[in-house]
Amino acid sequence: MSESRRLGVRGPLPGVPQSGTASVRDAERKRAAIASLQAGFRRQNIFLVASLFLTAALAPALPFVEDWMSMQASLVIIYILAAQGVSILTGQTGLVTVGHGGFLAIGAYTSALLAKYFAVDLSLSIVAGAVMAGLIGCLLGLIFLRLAGAFMAIGTLGFAFFIGTIVNNVPIFEGRDGIQMPHSRIFGMLLGDTGFYYVALAVLALTTAFVYILLRSPVGRAFRALRDSEKAAESSGVNRLFYRTLAFTTSAALTGIAGVLNANITGYVSAETYGDIWYSVDFLVATVVGGSSALMGPFVGGAFIVMVPFYLEQLADFAFILKGVVLILVLQFAPAGVCDVIAKPFRDLRRKQLQRIQDDVEKTSPPALAALFSRGRQ
Amino acid sequence: MTHISCQGVTVKFGGIIACSELALSVAEGKIYGLIGPNGAGKTTLFNVLSRFQNCDSGSVYFRGDCIDCKRPHDMVRLGISRTFQNINLFSAQSTLENILVGAHRLAGNPFANMFALPSARKNQRMLLARAHEVAELLRLENHLEVPVRNLPYGHQKRVELARALASEPEVILLDEPVAGCNSQEVEELKDFVRVINKELGITVLLVEHDMSMVMEICDYIYVINFGANLAEGTPAEIRKNPKVIAAYLGEEE
Repeated sequence: MSESRRLGVRGPLPGVPQSGTASVRDAERKRAAIASLQAGFRRQNIFLVASLFLTAALAPALPFVEDWMSMQASLVIIYILAAQGVSILTGQTGLVTVGHGGFLAIGAYTSALLAKYFAVDLSLSIVAGAVMAGLIGCLLGLIFLRLAGAFMAIGTLGFAFFIGTIVNNVPIFEGRDGIQMPHSRIFGMLLGDTGFYYVALAVLALTTAFVYILLRSPVGRAFRALRDSEKAAESSGVNRLFYRTLAFTTSAALTGIAGVLNANITGYVSAETYGDIWYSVDFLVATVVGGSSALMGPFVGGAFIVMVPFYLEQLADFAFILKGVVLILVLQFAPAGVCDVIAKPFRDLRRKQLQRIQDDVEKTSPPALAALFSRGRQ
Repeated sequence: MTHISCQGVTVKFGGIIACSELALSVAEGKIYGLIGPNGAGKTTLFNVLSRFQNCDSGSVYFRGDCIDCKRPHDMVRLGISRTFQNINLFSAQSTLENILVGAHRLAGNPFANMFALPSARKNQRMLLARAHEVAELLRLENHLEVPVRNLPYGHQKRVELARALASEPEVILLDEPVAGCNSQEVEELKDFVRVINKELGITVLLVEHDMSMVMEICDYIYVINFGANLAEGTPAEIRKNPKVIAAYLGEEE
């Protein structure tokens, strides 16, 4: 590699006007105006999400909130966590997964076995579940390296069945009898329903911050690049093997955390619940309904999947049908998800604001590089 | 100094020989053209040079080192970037995002990026400034937030050029940069290619069917036909070469 190019990495491009000229000041002014507007948008987003979490944290103190609700809310949080995992793989990296129930099971059984045999604290259990699911996710990512589209869906479905068969038949998992866990403790304290809700909420806050940072970083950008065009991504220097495996690993780890919480909410795991693929399907539906590329998508989807059967309990199987109907309607009329439909007017407004700044600067100054290009033409 | 070169490149697709014993050599700081009639093997050779295609025999060299075993994503780290014949952008994403993906080589440690460590944040700001510079160079600065699929065709071509430039390459391979552009867009892109070469000192190798563009901006031209080298020389020499005229217009009886 030549020395000149290395130096060029830090210095300004020679074609760009040097500082001090009028055009540079205009360009800088515009860049600063746009940057401050975008920082404002970011603050609005963070404020919205933070106030959502604050409301959720204060909710148990409200007079009309009853005890059973915290249990239900914890379940919603678990689905949101799992859907966050799915959305990294399916929404961002473009790999459809119908097997994340497998990672949920890995998280759940890791926690159950650690609690039963070693009386491990919930805090450590969450870390262990994430690491275990992440490792197996990494392995699966490497195995499925060449799969895409429908083949990836079938491959991950196979993985869910594989995990189901294992928990049904390997003695340590105790099959359909299941594992009864001792009562969950975090940092030594016994957890009630409300306590558990707060733990789940804190975990969700952490993962949401993590997903937010991840999606805005060059890593998230590499994921989306691989989704939109593998060839163009590779020619831009994105290592396909590395980033695909990384997407699998982080996605599996998030769903593994959901699994740990899901085991601790009931204190009981068995092949009856973790042995079939309904969890996998539910997570995918939650991701699709909520919107897989938005940060808030998993929140809407998770709430939908848990609350629909809950409110329609008396309709029994009709709730399943309703889920299917909503899925079809969403795919037909809002393929980017419910969240996208809600966010679109705001996004358009912001885009218009940005454009207005750009047009203003345009009117007050000549195009910054006109001089440069007339030089190039000689 | 020789930048990128290849020798004895042979590529077979089943019974079809796309390239046989092709050789070319690109010297630093010049604009090279690669031309030939349809199906001559230009794009295949391009894919070999950017490692998207393995060759059955022959080798590709960069600064004298054999790069046969490199993967496509290694190329930008060496200093070679490319564009595609049909626009190949991340079409749902904004211009800025596209350019930032192009700058991926400069993005630093992915694990630091995932957790927004302080080093990564500094690096992010550097990347963003770099992307803005490239956008301004290609006069895309007013379209940064627009999804690229909503941009006019000529702009999309420029976004692809910007993405290739964002990795700060030494050599840039352009696969038909003006295919499908109107005459005004062709003129613009000609200027941009010249600026990239003269102002940024980047070596350019381009495949193109627009003869006026090739003859006007290239310093040296390789002609291939039926997968084999036919001729090489300056534009003036190529214009007069009887073999080239025969290949393009057909032999006189």
